[in-house]
Amino acid sequence: MTTISRRTFLKTSGALGAAAVLGEGLRAPAFADKPISFSGWVFKPDTVKDYVNFYNQKYQGQVKYEAIPWAQYHPTMETRALAGEVVDVMYCNHNNRERWFENGLIRAVDDLPGTDELKKKMTPANLDSLKSKDGTKLLGLPYFTSLFILIYNEPMLQQAGIKAPAKSWDELVEHSMKLKKDKISDTPYLPNWNNSPSGTMPQFMSDCFSEGAQVFDAKNRVIVDQEPGAAKAMERWQKVYKAELVNPEVLTKTSSTDTHRLFWTGRYAYHTNHSYYLKTIAGEPENSKLAPKKAKMAMYPGNGSSYMWTDSYVVNAKTKVLEDAWKLTRFLGGNLHGDWYVQRQWCLISGLDNPYPEMYDHAEIIQSYDRWIDLKLLREQYKKGKVIAAYKEPWYGEYDTKAVATVQNIIRGVTTVPKGLKELVALQKSLA
Amino acid sequence: MNADQNRSTLPRPLPGQAVAPRLPLPSIRLSERWFAILLVLPAILGIFLVVLFPLLYSLWLSFTDVNLLRTTGPAIELFGVRVPLFRWIGIQNYVRILDDPLYWSSLWRTLYFVGAFVLEATVIGMGMALVLHERFNGRPLMRSLLLIPWSLSRVVVGLLWVGLLDFEFGALNALLAKLGLIHGYIAFFKDGFSALNVLVSVYMWNQAPFAALLFLAGMQSVPEDLYSAAEVDGADYWQRFRHVTLPALRPIVFLVLVLATVNGFLMLDLIYVLTMGGPGHDTTTVSWLGFQTTFTFFKFGPGTAILYTLTALCLLLTFVYHRLLLARFEPEA
Repeated sequence: MTTISRRTFLKTSGALGAAAVLGEGLRAPAFADKPISFSGWVFKPDTVKDYVNFYNQKYQGQVKYEAIPWAQYHPTMETRALAGEVVDVMYCNHNNRERWFENGLIRAVDDLPGTDELKKKMTPANLDSLKSKDGTKLLGLPYFTSLFILIYNEPMLQQAGIKAPAKSWDELVEHSMKLKKDKISDTPYLPNWNNSPSGTMPQFMSDCFSEGAQVFDAKNRVIVDQEPGAAKAMERWQKVYKAELVNPEVLTKTSSTDTHRLFWTGRYAYHTNHSYYLKTIAGEPENSKLAPKKAKMAMYPGNGSSYMWTDSYVVNAKTKVLEDAWKLTRFLGGNLHGDWYVQRQWCLISGLDNPYPEMYDHAEIIQSYDRWIDLKLLREQYKKGKVIAAYKEPWYGEYDTKAVATVQNIIRGVTTVPKGLKELVALQKSLA
Repeated sequence: MNADQNRSTLPRPLPGQAVAPRLPLPSIRLSERWFAILLVLPAILGIFLVVLFPLLYSLWLSFTDVNLLRTTGPAIELFGVRVPLFRWIGIQNYVRILDDPLYWSSLWRTLYFVGAFVLEATVIGMGMALVLHERFNGRPLMRSLLLIPWSLSRVVVGLLWVGLLDFEFGALNALLAKLGLIHGYIAFFKDGFSALNVLVSVYMWNQAPFAALLFLAGMQSVPEDLYSAAEVDGADYWQRFRHVTLPALRPIVFLVLVLATVNGFLMLDLIYVLTMGGPGHDTTTVSWLGFQTTFTFFKFGPGTAILYTLTALCLLLTFVYHRLLLARFEPEA
């Protein structure tokens, strides 16, 4: 009988263990890339996790994704950078991109392979908005682009005998007056006047643009006090508020998401908000009374222009894995190996648009959009989308937030239109 | 050191047993005082790291020109984390904020908010405690239920009250309309002053139970003899409350006032959930302004300066409360 001593047992089991570990190691996929950290604000984090997993599997990546609540996202990324942490790839909204670049947190991507090809594929307006203040460098690749659209409740208009949605602002006010008078709706018009940075001010710019007014001059100074179109838009806002055509509590809604959900109730005739919100309004019967497709998009009234912006994926200037970080960024914001995977996913899942027109020739995208929006009209609207460059100024974030109170005071009649517009100019001057 | 203390407690070797040579062990003799210091040192270090250091660092920030993205310049390194030493600018941040009309309008609004909240929380908390101090069926259950609003997260509290008060789908509006008390729905957040009062009331709903709990604990420690003696003297309920309960509760009233004042000054989350400081600036308090300045405008210097003015106000009011309530208070031996 062979006896097994303690020493023999330990040696044998150790050798077996080592073999198992090595064997497993050999069988495991070989990771071509180095570990990459990737952070973004919370928006459908499970979707993001899915495509990060897809990337890790398909491209043998080692991406670690982390979602941070929107309100703390940018300060968190800055404090982490301050403490010496390097997050290789990050989301960055348009308001912070230039600041991050000027302070050396992120790098330009022009010198990286494939950038020129992507630049050619982007619409010029979006490309401009992704560039540095001096217009010479590309600071990131697009996460999504959006703009303000006009949404209308078709059954409600039909009930009131209104055959076509408003083409002008005067017509929209007239329709709203009629709907209120006929007791079809207490508050027929739902503008996005919420208190967050995505509400009152982008809505203000959209309506100014649609009236042919400029908000900023070529040097990014606020000039609304010299623009008759801006005064006209504000007088209209005062009028609809005073006539109680709008939900009076929209001024204290805390997000554009909360605001668009009010439209789900079917109690409003018109709504102006970010384009992708029509997907839940007209495409999610489980949430909205106006789905499927009872709510529709119309061209923005006035001259059709509305405010457009582009948020982005950026690359950390101090990344030690530039090649892999760029590969991930191209997967997220471009077409790595010719595949628009992530950009396509956002279109399909959330109706988030992107600045690559060729995406909208894909049959899958056309079919998906057809369930909730007139894609042709949306593309027409994008041609009228107007970008600004003022957000590249260091004072913009503070101006954009503080201006909300002034504009809301104009709406409520707390201040007059000329005085309020002058206050906006003075506010910008005080911060510049 | 006496002889007993020198006596070794080690077992002595038996006769014939080999005795291993003793290695001289280094002995550290500490006085009782130093030994005590050594024992509390880890706790003191912990407190320094998690309380004192952030406090002092944030105070320092309020006197500096902070740019979070500046990764060069003087810094200290703590456990591998770089802590920058920003440029000292003296009281410039304080001068700048005191020069801002928005700061002053926010301050008056904050004082109104705190005053109304402290009053409501104290009076309602006292009322609840008086009720729960009486004997009645279901009192233990009521005492447990009392704590529910206080135990809820304030974000949940905010969302709950949005559901109750909303102009479009609020349960309260629906109820009032059903009872025929209103004809059109009330927009509680339309007017700034109304929105501010809603914030006061919602926060009171959340915090008054805790005040009630403190008052209740105080009431239960008042000796029954005092009430019996007052009854013998012919005192009615309110006289007993005024001359027995209230004087005995003076330290608790002080505590409730201090806590309610500090909480009132610092309240932020309900504003975040319910109004975001609007409409206009009508519900912007100093804490909200400080939060916005720090985390929205990335101005950490002025932001911390704004918040330190709140700290100063809290300390000042605590001192006033102390003078008014406790300065002549002599606790019984």
